[in-house]
Amino acid sequence: MNRGDGETDRSRRFGDLCENLRPDLLRFAFWLGRDRQLAEDVVQEAMLRAWKSFEALADEGKAKSWLLTIVRREFARSFERKRFEVADLDALVAAEAEVLAVEDDGELAAMRTALFRLDDEYREPLVLQVLMGYSTQEIATMMGLQRGAVLTRLFRARARLRRELGLGPEPAP
Amino acid sequence: MMNCLDFRRQVGAEPFADDALLETHRRQCPACAHYQDELRAMDGLIARSLAVPATRITRRTPQPRFALATGRPRLFAIAASIAVGLAVGLVLLVSAPRASIAREVIGHVAHEAATMAATVPITPGALAGVLDPEGTRLRPGIGDVTFAARCVYDGQVVPHLVVRTPQGTVTVLLLRHREIAEPLQIEGQGFAGVVLPAPRGSIAIVGQGLANLDGIAQQVFEAVDWGA
Repeated sequence: MNRGDGETDRSRRFGDLCENLRPDLLRFAFWLGRDRQLAEDVVQEAMLRAWKSFEALADEGKAKSWLLTIVRREFARSFERKRFEVADLDALVAAEAEVLAVEDDGELAAMRTALFRLDDEYREPLVLQVLMGYSTQEIATMMGLQRGAVLTRLFRARARLRRELGLGPEPAP
Repeated sequence: MMNCLDFRRQVGAEPFADDALLETHRRQCPACAHYQDELRAMDGLIARSLAVPATRITRRTPQPRFALATGRPRLFAIAASIAVGLAVGLVLLVSAPRASIAREVIGHVAHEAATMAATVPITPGALAGVLDPEGTRLRPGIGDVTFAARCVYDGQVVPHLVVRTPQGTVTVLLLRHREIAEPLQIEGQGFAGVVLPAPRGSIAIVGQGLANLDGIAQQVFEAVDWGA
């Protein structure tokens, strides 16, 4: 294979990955930052960084977690660069009402709002577990935490959601 | 011996954890079993809530990032790029869906491969928690369901089951949102399976090293009651 063919193959493989994984990356970035514009920008930047270091991805079966890690880092960089102010939660919910709205399903809408209000440290592992399907050990690796810390955060995340939704009391964590 | 507090701490973090101690406690304590069923149902709701369509995240009034040139050349450029976009889109529309389904199903099953190792049948309540939201049921006799969860697949929340039949273990995805015209054989990453047209969307049945995949797939297909 000459260099041109190799480059074409690389482009095609990267294009396939992006096509498959972009929706998940957008959802992850959205729930991370609770802001559509930020999610799009972060995913766009992450894709550029991923393309530059695509050769470093030895196992394309692990592309999703690799890309999610890049999105996480890019999200952190965005925060450093832009120094976002801590926003009023009600304002955040109102700004993204179009995404949170669900026709004829009050339960779903209530849950989306409750998830929006969840602290970052609880929302992120929950998104990785429930939406992305990662095990607690995988989440610990991605977030640079001990597995026990991830378990505690997941427990507290669900406990808070249950409280928000008016479900029963929890045992102490 | 596990107590209720430990049980609730563990399932609060992992409602679908496959653990013999949890299962033993669950069988002995109806209150804790109910608590876990509630958490599993809530996880289904969380999954549905988080699965915001990506198009809704990106579908906004486009904001111009640069000053736009005006006049006819700009219009020609826009028209040309639209034409190219349509042509590319048409090619993708014609060729992509089959390959896309195969890649997505195999990718999901491979990512969740560990679930196929589960051997303990889940409770009818847990299975109902996964299937009930769509009004689906699994007729008895097909085998033991050892894993059931509501997974995000293709931007939708879909039931994901692992069924141990006498002829082998298969992962089953009920894809109500995905209609296909004809059966599709899929293979990759050590897995092989079929996606079959179903009364509601389609159903993917995937396993590893199965001697009679078609026979198992037919049995599983017939065991699913898709409801109204």
